[in-house]
Amino acid sequence: MTTPFSLIVTDTSPLFTLVMADALDVLLRPNLPVTIPDAVYFEATRVRGAPGADGIVEWINAHLDAVRLVPTEIGIDQQRRLEEGRSIRGLGELAAIEALDRYIRTSPSATALLLFEDSDIGRRRAVIDDRVALISTGDFLRELERAGLIQSADHILDLASQRGRNVERQRRAVSGEAVRRGLREQLRGRE
Amino acid sequence: MGTILPADRTGLLRGYAAGAVTWRDLREQGFDDYIQVLGGLGELGLRPPMAPMSGPNVEARRRGRALIARLLRAHADP
Repeated sequence: MTTPFSLIVTDTSPLFTLVMADALDVLLRPNLPVTIPDAVYFEATRVRGAPGADGIVEWINAHLDAVRLVPTEIGIDQQRRLEEGRSIRGLGELAAIEALDRYIRTSPSATALLLFEDSDIGRRRAVIDDRVALISTGDFLRELERAGLIQSADHILDLASQRGRNVERQRRAVSGEAVRRGLREQLRGRE
Repeated sequence: MGTILPADRTGLLRGYAAGAVTWRDLREQGFDDYIQVLGGLGELGLRPPMAPMSGPNVEARRRGRALIARLLRAHADP
């Protein structure tokens, strides 16, 4: 029997970085089941049609055999907070910890790999069981590069920020148009 | 995002790309989502940071990288 193993995504940033670079499939290259806690998924996709969100939904649906969305108590709290207009910041990571706790209790041999964003993993100590290892988006990309599975980690990160820039410009244009429309409507109302 | 002044925003993003500011810091300063971070980095001609192999989680990260390397090799081998 093989050891149960899972890659748990703790934050939206790896998903957004990879979807912007059109590289979400790299998460599947180690042939590990990918676990996305509900709160991380919801935070990444809550604005329908938002850049990246649709790509993440489509990718998950295309790989339901390998990608699992995990319900958590934190996810329920997240919905409640949204209804009450409260902040949901940081709940993805808490949901990941809950998903991890539940997962490693399923079997004494269960092992997990937590996927973090680079700046957070570099500075904040994560509470770690011996059966849990950590990896950042950058670490992950470096290993893919070393294995010759991607052109370069830098290339993926460059693509993500270049496409992110285009998305931000579109957002600003839409937001500017909304402001102009509002002004026109206000002016018409005065006539 | 709303409340971040453009100069502060630029400084935060430059600090983030340089590894001096964390994603958590950016959220606390008003960045709503990571797309805003990627977009801001792209405007400045910067890319997201890759954490150096140092800091409080080095051992757990080394284990993580070794695991991924092993799995990639196993998956690549016929």
